Amino acid sequence: MSTPDLQPLYDAVLSGDAKTARAVTEQALSAGVEPLKLVQEYMVPAMGEVGRRFECNEYFVPELLLSARAMKAALELIRPLLAASGAQPAGRVVIGTVKGDLHDIGKNLVAAMLEGGGYEVIDLGVNVPPEKFVEVAQEKNANLVAMSALLTTTMPSMRTTIEAFKAAGVRNRVKIMIGGAPITQRYADEIGADGYAETAAGAVPLARKLAA
Amino acid sequence: MNTEELYQQRLRRYLTALRNERPDKIPIRPFVAEFTAKYAGFTCQQVAHDFNLAFEAAVRCARDFDWDAVVPNMVYVWTGLTQAAGLRYYGIPGIHVPHTTGFNYIEPPEEEAFMREDEYDALIADPTAFLYEVWLPRVSTEIVKPGQPATYRSHLALVKSAMAMMVYFNAFGPQIQRLRTECGTVSAIAGIFKAPFDILADKLRGYVGLTLDMARQPDTVLRACEALMPHLAHVGLTTADPAKQVPIGLWMHRGCVPFVNPAQFRSHYWPTLKPCIEEFWRHGHQTMFYAEGKWDAHLDDFATLPERSIIFHVDQGDIFLAHRKLHHKFALSGGIPNVLLSYGQPEEVRAYCKKVIDEVAREGGYILDAGAIMQDDTSIENLRALTDFAREYGVYSGAPTDGPLLRPCDGADVSELVGLSDRPAPRVRPGVCLPWEAKLKELPPLSGDVDLLRRVWENVDALGNTYIWQLLLSF
Repeated sequence: MSTPDLQPLYDAVLSGDAKTARAVTEQALSAGVEPLKLVQEYMVPAMGEVGRRFECNEYFVPELLLSARAMKAALELIRPLLAASGAQPAGRVVIGTVKGDLHDIGKNLVAAMLEGGGYEVIDLGVNVPPEKFVEVAQEKNANLVAMSALLTTTMPSMRTTIEAFKAAGVRNRVKIMIGGAPITQRYADEIGADGYAETAAGAVPLARKLAA
Repeated sequence: MNTEELYQQRLRRYLTALRNERPDKIPIRPFVAEFTAKYAGFTCQQVAHDFNLAFEAAVRCARDFDWDAVVPNMVYVWTGLTQAAGLRYYGIPGIHVPHTTGFNYIEPPEEEAFMREDEYDALIADPTAFLYEVWLPRVSTEIVKPGQPATYRSHLALVKSAMAMMVYFNAFGPQIQRLRTECGTVSAIAGIFKAPFDILADKLRGYVGLTLDMARQPDTVLRACEALMPHLAHVGLTTADPAKQVPIGLWMHRGCVPFVNPAQFRSHYWPTLKPCIEEFWRHGHQTMFYAEGKWDAHLDDFATLPERSIIFHVDQGDIFLAHRKLHHKFALSGGIPNVLLSYGQPEEVRAYCKKVIDEVAREGGYILDAGAIMQDDTSIENLRALTDFAREYGVYSGAPTDGPLLRPCDGADVSELVGLSDRPAPRVRPGVCLPWEAKLKELPPLSGDVDLLRRVWENVDALGNTYIWQLLLSF
């Protein structure tokens, strides 16, 4: 069987066309294309391009969201095969909005971008207590923890969570990244986080830098 | 100086700045929300769940700080009411979030959005009926859908929340009076308004749902925004300051880049917001653009509004850029970062205020405030530093302290403004649920004062309209 043209997968993720992304993936898989090849050679680069376009104001959150959904639609077909083949993700991230804060749009976008970057994402949702971050990070053997806060009132929960990692003696097993409207690099430094990204698109390069 | 003299002095200062002119001093109008609880010794739970404590906390702050204007209760959402209505979208302190945290708005997951993607036509046909028939039963844990068996709890939820709303709104008059007579402080805003696009995103389709709709059915979304315009504008006009002194609050959420792309702002957000603002101005009401987040990409569009028709409030945007682009037409407010007020040092607060005052307030037309509403993380010491510094440093020379008190609208020429006047009237008039004409068909021949019968029917019917639109906009 001839190798199908996979460029449309890249294009579908880039343009946020979930239907096509899923259809091309289906065809490719049934033609025997390696699932990992689809992810690494087409989807991750497409999401990388999405991030690049976001950074230079060609794309905005709506485009980011649509691309992330297209990628997710394709990933749903691929993920079980990847798991069966024992392929390792780029990294494992535990993500959540911190205690006292119920906002999740930004956190969901970061989660989607990280998935698009080839990471396995364990999403703990909103209002996540510090102990929960610590517990799941250990249980899942995560190498990254990502925390979000929209409110200035809930920013201190980030500090408390980092302290909980220290108290449990596992702070050096994970890299911790933070983000959200009121967060700054200065705040990240002050509370001893490993990294901060201003935008959801910036979260992927940051994760790569931290886990390198 | 007695309290009333103080009030008059502050009112003149505030109105002069709203007119984008130079008062005697820079007015201070901090949007203090849960900060008031911290200052007065209450918890976030107390001020969210007992509005009398929230009122008390606001009065104590206004009494102790030299502020020109405050909002009578900037915590605003009374969770006693939201609980009575069974509203799913609030996290109540002590129930869904810790009692030491302010209430939170909860956006439902995409698949549980309060309006589905195929329901636009019903919303467009009669927005008020849609809110009662479809939206309310979905946002409430108590209220049942029309057609479902009626329940005791459903009736109770409606009656209790409606009466609670009346109690709450009626308490604002005495609270505003208390601020005036006990503190000499002006009530900073009156009335509520949100952009049609924001309401669709916030309370109906959700941000993600609306974003998908913008890709799949943008024309339908536009028609929905247009259908909401007259109803939302009606809420704004009927809740505005009858004296036309203080502005209507416009709470702006997701209509800015990057939450929408620039084309969507131009096609949907702005064309369905601008005519409403012009409609308010036609009626003599200024609008306070509370530009939550960053709206720097849209300042050129805002600059096309009539002179003095808005006050532009800066949250995380660039206040210096806003000043360059808008100051020739409008007053500005805000711009002092909340993070600085919460976690900075008093000398940093003073330095930042000096920078803003030097660059933005030189010619008047600036009202000092933080970027966002101030919650209980705001440092008392820092807010005191802001206040004291502004009173020392924010003094203009040569401003008249007497003469006629001018309102923002005085002297404005609105004769050319169209506002909403050229738009087709909606099938059911704004402010109406069940039109008298429809009711009349059910009634036997009338006698006596028919006009009285009609007037009272319409006045009471309007209460039903107030309930549902206020639930949508304010709670």
